[in-house]
Amino acid sequence: MNIPAYIIIAILLLSASAGAVCAYLYWKKFRNGIDVIINLLKKGQMPHSRNSDCDFIKTLSDTIRESFNENVSRIETLQRQTKELDIHIKLLGKQKNSIEDIIYSIHDVVIVSDSFDRLSMANKAAGKLFNFDVEKSKLMLMTDVLTGPGKRLVELINQSKQSKIPHVKREFTFANEQKEGIFECLISCMFASDGEVSGIIAVLHDVTKEKEISQMKNEFVSHVSHELKTPLASINAYAEMLADGEAQDEATVKEFCSVIQSQAQRLNRLIEDILNISRIESGLVKVSKDVISLAVLIKEAVEMIKSYAAEKDITVNYDSPIIFDQVSADRDMMTQVVVNLLSNAIKYTPNGGKVSIGTEVNESEKIVRITVTDTGVGIPEEEVQLVFNKFYRVKANNKCAKGTGLGLNLVKQIVETVHNGKVFVKSKVGHGSTFGFEVPLCSSLEHSCSN
Amino acid sequence: MSRKILVVDDEIHILRVVAIKLKNNGFEVITAEDGKQGFETALAEMPDMIISDYQMPNMTGIEMVEKLRQNETTKCIPVIMLTARGFAIEDQQKQNLNIAEFLSKPFSPKELLNTVEEILQNCTAK
Repeated sequence: MNIPAYIIIAILLLSASAGAVCAYLYWKKFRNGIDVIINLLKKGQMPHSRNSDCDFIKTLSDTIRESFNENVSRIETLQRQTKELDIHIKLLGKQKNSIEDIIYSIHDVVIVSDSFDRLSMANKAAGKLFNFDVEKSKLMLMTDVLTGPGKRLVELINQSKQSKIPHVKREFTFANEQKEGIFECLISCMFASDGEVSGIIAVLHDVTKEKEISQMKNEFVSHVSHELKTPLASINAYAEMLADGEAQDEATVKEFCSVIQSQAQRLNRLIEDILNISRIESGLVKVSKDVISLAVLIKEAVEMIKSYAAEKDITVNYDSPIIFDQVSADRDMMTQVVVNLLSNAIKYTPNGGKVSIGTEVNESEKIVRITVTDTGVGIPEEEVQLVFNKFYRVKANNKCAKGTGLGLNLVKQIVETVHNGKVFVKSKVGHGSTFGFEVPLCSSLEHSCSN
Repeated sequence: MSRKILVVDDEIHILRVVAIKLKNNGFEVITAEDGKQGFETALAEMPDMIISDYQMPNMTGIEMVEKLRQNETTKCIPVIMLTARGFAIEDQQKQNLNIAEFLSKPFSPKELLNTVEEILQNCTAK
């Protein structure tokens, strides 16, 4: 417990005046002794004239010296003590302020009520959340300070005061027109020496973000399980049909086998994509960056998807430009980015369409910009910005092709998280889409770039 | 007369496998690739039973059943719902929509066939 400042000041004043009285009394005694000596001298009775006188004066002066010295040291002690007390008071004041500052600045909401249900302390976060003036509301009734959504908190505080349970943890939902949030509310009782509750401390910790994250995690798990179960359902059903002899001719047996194979591959791609995204997100992915030319990499990627494009009679245009387009990148990851964009473009472009790749170097901004433009189905305006989200699939285009909703998210993660770049998209329903990304260019003067 | 069954799923592989299983066992099968198409086909073809996926574009299986139940002619068609979602649909909703059975994916075509035959038998018995 802190000793209140006024008690310290009172003690200090009392001790100082006691010191002064003592000093005065000793001074009086000292003066008396001096007077005796002066009188003796005036009478012409010299100290050495008579032995008895001499002895008397000697004893007297010794007494005076002693009491004088004693007084000096007492005064010095008192002065020292006064100084120490002064320092102590200042120190306590500072400590009090600093503790108040700490509580005031804590991010969590802190509200303390006294035994008369008045507000004895509240911090900045409390004032902000419950919309009251922290200084002006001191010693006001809690019911007057905490209104609206705060009423529930007053109820919780009263419950704790009555039950005398030292600590109670609750979930507190705050909602008004301006803001809403979920808080973890810890209400603790302060007890006086007689065991009565002398005050209540309520600490509210904002867990809105955590709740959102856990909600997102649940949705993710539910979505992943749905995505995994879909190919699994096919594999399971076709395998059972084969085992039960339901494939009645050679061609059907072949068809069933190829479905099982393709669905198993789909399952594997899905698992790979999920793992890759999660590795990148958690920073566990192994990145090995080299200085590479994007033009060369794109050429290789075009070769890879050539047969897929040919199946749909889609032409892929890429005139590899003669420009300096060296970037510091992980070759495998960057290839995956380009392949994902190209196969998406082919996937969502009707037969006979066109896909073109553009490379642009912006020397002043020191970036390389790659674009993949198709003559496909396009994306509705309101959904364009959502296509990079995990598992997001454009509803209207669901029919065109199967997908996991992970491919573009992986592109975004690789470009933005791993390569410090940026992805972008432009689209018009019925006309086609342009997906692209930009990554920092290696300076043409340097042969190695910093990662 | 063979019984007519409408199968609704956005996964063509599932449509195909269910169709083969049912056809091999003497049923007539018609298919639809989403809830909207399923609803329209149901109205036009008046099947004896509908097997539908739960999650589909355009119109979900549940939305499709809701619409079918509002229509006098399709009100009583028994429905089996296939779902890959982990969550369970509340019994109340199941009763309200008069969904005969829920089967979770991955499912066994054999089991699906048994359920279909069982439900159709019960319907005839009534």
